[in-house]
Amino acid sequence: MFKSTFISIGLHVFFIIFAYYGLPSFKIREPIESPIDIVEDTPISSKTSLKLGETKVKEVKEIKKVIKKEKVKKTPPPPPAPSKKMVEKKNAELKKKKEIREIAELIKKKPKLKKKKVKKVLPPKVEKKPEKIKNKQKENLAKGILNTLTKPKKKVENSKKVEKEHNNTEILKKIKKIAGNSNRQVQQTEIKLSVTDINKIQNHVTKYWNVSYAASEVKMVITLKISTNVDGSIKSVKIYDKNLYQKDKFYRATADTARRAVLDSSPLPLPKGKEKKFENFLFDFDTSFISNY
Amino acid sequence: MSNYLNLSFFKVLILIYSFFISNLLADDIRIKINSGQVEPLPIAIADFTGEEGKANEIGRQIAEVISNNLVGSGQFKAVESAAFIAPPTSPSVRPNFTDWTPLGIKALITGSVKSINEQQIEVEFRLWDIIAETDLIGLRLSVDAQAWRRVAHIISDEIFERLSGDSGYFDTRIVYVAESGPQNKRLKRLAIMDQDGENHQYLTDGSFLVLTPRFSPTTQEITYLAYFKNEPRVYIFNLETGEQELLGSFPGMTFAPRFSPFGDKIIMSLAEKGVTDIYTMNLNNQEVIRLTNSSSIDTSPSFSPNGKKIIFNSDRGGSQQIYIMDANGRNVKRISFGKGRYATPVWAPKGELIAFTKMLKNKFYIGVMSPDGSGERLLAEGYLVEGPTWAPNGRVLMYFKQEAPIDDGKSSNVNLYKIDITGFRETRVLTPSDGSDPAWSPLIPN
Repeated sequence: MFKSTFISIGLHVFFIIFAYYGLPSFKIREPIESPIDIVEDTPISSKTSLKLGETKVKEVKEIKKVIKKEKVKKTPPPPPAPSKKMVEKKNAELKKKKEIREIAELIKKKPKLKKKKVKKVLPPKVEKKPEKIKNKQKENLAKGILNTLTKPKKKVENSKKVEKEHNNTEILKKIKKIAGNSNRQVQQTEIKLSVTDINKIQNHVTKYWNVSYAASEVKMVITLKISTNVDGSIKSVKIYDKNLYQKDKFYRATADTARRAVLDSSPLPLPKGKEKKFENFLFDFDTSFISNY
Repeated sequence: MSNYLNLSFFKVLILIYSFFISNLLADDIRIKINSGQVEPLPIAIADFTGEEGKANEIGRQIAEVISNNLVGSGQFKAVESAAFIAPPTSPSVRPNFTDWTPLGIKALITGSVKSINEQQIEVEFRLWDIIAETDLIGLRLSVDAQAWRRVAHIISDEIFERLSGDSGYFDTRIVYVAESGPQNKRLKRLAIMDQDGENHQYLTDGSFLVLTPRFSPTTQEITYLAYFKNEPRVYIFNLETGEQELLGSFPGMTFAPRFSPFGDKIIMSLAEKGVTDIYTMNLNNQEVIRLTNSSSIDTSPSFSPNGKKIIFNSDRGGSQQIYIMDANGRNVKRISFGKGRYATPVWAPKGELIAFTKMLKNKFYIGVMSPDGSGERLLAEGYLVEGPTWAPNGRVLMYFKQEAPIDDGKSSNVNLYKIDITGFRETRVLTPSDGSDPAWSPLIPN
C-alpha cells in the first residue's frame, strides 16, 4: 500500500516536472524548426503585419530590377548560392576540409568523373575558361562534387530547374535578410511588445491600485487573468488562485483590491496594432513595495 | 502484454497531464504591477433602515459608529451621506452600482434593523464592492437592543477584516488610570471604556493610588499595581465578576506588572537595596523567579507573543536603553542604539514590532522598531508622550500625552491618544477626565 502510494506520488511529480520543463520548450521549438520551408513556399505578407508586408514587396521589386541589370551587363551568373554557402560553412570545419582535399586528389586521378559532374552541375557559361578552373578552382570543383555527394539527389537531377529557380532563391534570400533572415524572427516582430507598451499599461493600472498596508503582512503576488476587447475595455477579470482566495484572508482582500484596480482602469491603453495580443493575458500584482508599515 | 498495456497507459497519462499543464502555463503576456497607492479607501455607509422610528434611529446610530470606527482606523475615507444618490432600502436589495461609481466610492455598506420584540433587535448588513459589482460579506445578528453599540463594533470588525485582510480591533475595551484634582492631591482611579471612549465606568473609588493596569491576553482580567497604606500590592481584577484578588505585597518598589502571553505568569520589576531587577510570578503556585541580577535598574519587561523572549529597559550600559533576553533571563543583548534614552518597550501582538517611548532633547516620542533594533520609526511626539499599548491586531497604538504646563502650580492636561502605525492619523480618545497609562484589551469573546 505504502509502496504503491510512493510510486504514484513519484510518477505524479515526474509528470508535473516533465510537463513544466518539457512542454514550453516544445512549444518554442515549433517556429524554429519549420520556418525555412515556410518562408520559401509562402508569401511573407501573410505572415507579417501589413506595414512589414508593404515595405518588403517594394524591396523585392527593387531587387528584381538589380538582378535584371546584372544580366544585361553579361556578367556570368554565379554558381548556385545555396551550394556556395554550404561549402563556406563546411570549409570552416577542419575535418571536412581534409575530406575535401582527399576528394580533390581523387578527382585529379580520375578527370572523367570530374568533367561529367561539372557539366551537370555548373551552367555552360562557367566552362568558358577551363584552364583557370583547372588551375585555381580545383578545390572549388571538389567542393561542388562534395555538394552533390552530401546533398539530396533531387538537386543533381533537377539541375536544369536550378537556373530557373535561381532568381527566385536570390530574391528570397534578400527578403530574408530584410525580414530578419528567419521565419521565427518574422513572427517575433509581429508578437514582440516594446518596453514602452508594457510600461504604459503598468503605469496606467498602478494609478488605480489602492492597497491596504495590511497587505504588507504577507508579501505576495496576486495573479489575475484578464480578457480585453480591442478598444482596451476589460471583458473579464479572474483571480488565478481561487483556492488561496478562499483560504487566506490577506490574499482575498488584496486580490479584491487588484481586481478593483483592473476594472477601474478600464479601458487599458493597449498599443496600436497589437490589441489582439492582449485578448488574454496575466497581471501579477506584487505587494512587496509596501514596506515600513 | 500487460506490460505493454501499462506502458501505453502511462503514455496516455503523460499526454493528458501535458495537455492540461501546458494549457495552464501557456499564457503569453504577464505584466507585473509592483507599485500602487496605500491610501484610505473611499467607502459609503448608508444609514441602516428600520421599519419604525426606534429601529430607524438605532440604524442611523449604528451607521455612525461604523463610520467613526472605519475612518478612525486611518484605512478608510467615508463619503458624505449627503452625496448619496439612491441608498438601497434593504441590504438584500442589490444597489444600482453605476449610480455610485461617479462618486469615487469603492465599497458600500447597507443594512437594516428590525425589532423582534421590545428588547431584541435583528441587525443585518451587507458589504458591496462597487467596482466588481458584487457583495463581499453579509451578516445577521440578533441582540439586546441596548447592545446596539457592540453590534456596530462587531460589524466594523467584519468589514475591516474583509477589506484589509487584517483582524479588526473595534470590539475591544481600554482600561486606564483616570486622573482628577490638583497636582499635589491627584485622584487616580481605575477606569474602563470601549475603544472609542463610550460606555465609560470607574472600577475603583480613588481611595488608593492605582498604577499600570494591564489586560490579560486570555481572560477578562486586569492586573494592576495599587498602593495600600504606602505598600505596593499587585492585584488581579476580574471584569466579569468584579472580584479582586491580591497576588501579593512586595517589599520595596514594584513596577509595571504585565501578563505573559498565555496568561499563566506575571512579569514585573522589583526594587530592593537600590537595585531593580526583573521577576516572574507563576499565577498557579505564586512561585517568584528572578530573571536579571545586575547592579543597574532593569524595568518595564514585556514578553514576546510566543513567550520565548523578553524585552525590557535598563541603564546597565550607562544610559537607559532597550534590551532583549531569553525567557529564562539568559542571552541579554542591547537592541536600541539611537540617540537619546528609551523606555517602556512593548512587544506587538504579532511579534514583528516593538513600541517604545523615547526621550531626546527635552521631548518625548512614541516609536516602533523591529525586535532586532532595526527600522526605528517615530510616530508621535509631545511635551510628554508615554506608555504605548497595542491594539489586538497590532495596527494601532494608544498612549497618553501631557501638554506643557501653562501656569506654575497647576497640572496640565493629560489625555489618551491613538495613532495607526503608519503615523498619519493621530486622534484623541475622549474621556470624562484626564487619563493616563492605557491598556488595550484583546477582542471581546462573543
